[in-house]
Amino acid sequence: MSEKIGKHIAIYGKGGIGKSTTTSNISAALAESGYRVIQIGCDPKSDSTTILRGGNDLPTVLDTLREQSKVRIEDISAVGFGGVLCIEAGGPVPGVGCAGRGINAAVELLQELKIFEEFKPDFVLYDVLGDVVCGGFAVPIRDGLADRAFVVTSSDFMAIFAANNLFKAVNKYAPSGGARLGGVIANSILAAYAPALIDDFAAKTGTQVIGYVPRSLVVAQSELYGKTVIESVPQSEQAQVYRKLAKYIDENEDSVIPKPLNSPELKKWAREWGDRIFEVETGVVHEMASI
Amino acid sequence: MSNHLEGSRNSCALHGALQLFEAIEGVIPVIHSTSGCGVQHYLGVTRLSGGNDPFSSPPVSSSNIAEKHVVFGGGSRLREQLKNTVKVVQGDLYAIVTGCSTEMVGDDIPAMAREGREQEWPVVYANTPGFSGDVHHGYHLALKALIEQLPGIWKRKGEFQTRLVNVWGIIPNQDPFWRGNLQELGRLLEGIGLVPNLLLGSEQGIAAWTQIPEAALNLVLSHWGKLPAGLLEQRYGTPSIILEGAPVGSAAVPLLRRLTEQLKLDQIRSEEFITREESLLNHQFARLADSYYRAGFQREFVLVGESAQVTGIGEFLGKSFGLLPRMLIITDNPPDNVQEALADRLSSIVSGYDTEVIFSEDRAEITDIIKTSDVQLILASSLEREVAVELDVPFLALSFPLDDRIVLDRGYAGYRGATALLEDIGSSILAFSNDRLFC
Ligand SMILES: Nc1ncnc2c1ncn2[C@@H]1O[C@H](COP(=O)(O)OP(=O)(O)OP(=O)(O)O)[C@@H](O)[C@H]1O
Ligand code: SF4
Ligand SMILES: [Mg+2]
Repeated sequence: MSEKIGKHIAIYGKGGIGKSTTTSNISAALAESGYRVIQIGCDPKSDSTTILRGGNDLPTVLDTLREQSKVRIEDISAVGFGGVLCIEAGGPVPGVGCAGRGINAAVELLQELKIFEEFKPDFVLYDVLGDVVCGGFAVPIRDGLADRAFVVTSSDFMAIFAANNLFKAVNKYAPSGGARLGGVIANSILAAYAPALIDDFAAKTGTQVIGYVPRSLVVAQSELYGKTVIESVPQSEQAQVYRKLAKYIDENEDSVIPKPLNSPELKKWAREWGDRIFEVETGVVHEMASI
Repeated sequence: MSNHLEGSRNSCALHGALQLFEAIEGVIPVIHSTSGCGVQHYLGVTRLSGGNDPFSSPPVSSSNIAEKHVVFGGGSRLREQLKNTVKVVQGDLYAIVTGCSTEMVGDDIPAMAREGREQEWPVVYANTPGFSGDVHHGYHLALKALIEQLPGIWKRKGEFQTRLVNVWGIIPNQDPFWRGNLQELGRLLEGIGLVPNLLLGSEQGIAAWTQIPEAALNLVLSHWGKLPAGLLEQRYGTPSIILEGAPVGSAAVPLLRRLTEQLKLDQIRSEEFITREESLLNHQFARLADSYYRAGFQREFVLVGESAQVTGIGEFLGKSFGLLPRMLIITDNPPDNVQEALADRLSSIVSGYDTEVIFSEDRAEITDIIKTSDVQLILASSLEREVAVELDVPFLALSFPLDDRIVLDRGYAGYRGATALLEDIGSSILAFSNDRLFC
């Protein structure tokens, strides 16, 4: 690849965990502080950038590629809040075709269109579908496209398992030039034990949590207006949380090759936490009560 | 663990299926894959099998999918290709075969075939991605498709025919002499009063395939023919006679006698036929004797080919022709139990003489083995020509791939095949000795 323009960051995490919401708010916060930002949704659902664009329609890269042989940047991008350039890779309808190859094809096209050379972004954020389901979805972290990957997780075990899977992919590709792990974004924090649980998982896998995003009604409300929190309630505490995340990503270049837990380790770890949570919730009091 | 393989002679499953479909008159294959699959079939298979066919049969229809079909699914492309093929090429049956890319994507092929049938087009399909196995597996997949799907297209009354015999196990092109071999086997069966259902080659079309259930017997001529015979036994209770290779020369006698007994044929007629064929072959041997002794035909040889060929030809040369099978190298990779049985059977063709039986599909390994073997005659594929030149011994190419012979209806099975072998092996030994004499 030619000289990379801007910092390229990939956001992964279990389906529905809040990747698109978090990514869009980070993009908005970065744009707000004057950076040129591109957000690329790598997900056949193509709803990554909705709340940056007021919910308007945007033709996806792959749909456009299917319909016309010559594709221009204008056909497949829209300028959203704060000048963020919004792109949706798109993909096939569920049950047919190969979405993984779709991500590949879309990314190749963006490179052919010289979109980074044209737009000269400071940041490019890739919002990638759910778990790493096949090689195609590892493209942003595999081919040296993104420098850093962040994973969004809640304290749900399934979300942690998905994060652990992503760590496996990073672990596999990082030594040969793939992205390294920037850290963990803890989202939808509600329960008192959640930060400690996610912290512990991060520590066990050799990484760190870079921010805790509380579960907040403001997020849902903004979404209904097709907006990020940054745009709709800029003064809110929630907006402040996203700004802090953006600042961290901007100012901090730390990255690691994570050490994913193997299956028995992960099971054991989850079981121990399950017991602790059960005790806390049912009011058993002993020295672990402080979590 | 896996190891490096050079110059394999076993192409992919898609090609195996194509070989079969292309060998049936009136069947129009439709490839659903990337464009290279069809090209590779011609370059890597049909063209290297005695210079047959491509120009005399219609070019193969292919959906030639591109990236967008991988991403969004190629079902609609196949639908369109099938429609166009039906429009442009008249056929009795359209056979969809798939390649690696479309199977990775998971296109719904049965649904496409069903749609075709709803239009009243006779369509069958076989999922044949190259990664599922080699050419033999593809042959199986295509056979299975026909056996299972044809009855849904053509319903026949299906009256049992006491003399009808289905012939299985000769893989078109993978055996470059398949046409001649089938014709000769047909002649032998007719000779004792049977009606051969050869299924492949000229004048073998859908009519032959739809009468499969009516046959009295399945005659299996290689390990690879066991699968269709098994399927038919399950479905229709048809019994089978199973051989590991088509018999060459006098090896046909026990088969003809067994058929006569099992199908209650006219014994006198069969014996008369056998006597006639035997005496003709003996006559050929006698005529050959002068050259045989003058040029020293009795040599230690290596034979490289598919298990069926190696068995049939190897035993004939050892048992009837007095040649010494030093090494038999079997390239079609049959399952372990079959390998054991073959090794057992073939290691003592000539009593008191040890034959080495080797299983390999690796050109480099085969070449190395031959190099260190001291053999005086090489009967193999064109891939072994080089080592024959290096060792300076007579050479005849008779197994796949074959790039220096034209094969129209020559065969090496049965009595005529035996005569052809005597001619061809004798000629190459003579040509070789004359070259050495006069230069
Ligand atoms: N911190 C939060 N507080 C409240 N709601 C949230 C929060 N984060 C995300 N959500 C809500 O959760 C839902 C799913 O979020 P989002 O679409 O961002 O997830 P995702 O990981 O991108 O999902 P997918 O895998 O389907 O793309 C949305 O309705 C969003 O508004
Ligand atoms: S191996 Fe696969 S890609 Fe190659 S020719 Fe066979 S079907 Fe096509
Ligand atoms: Mg999303």
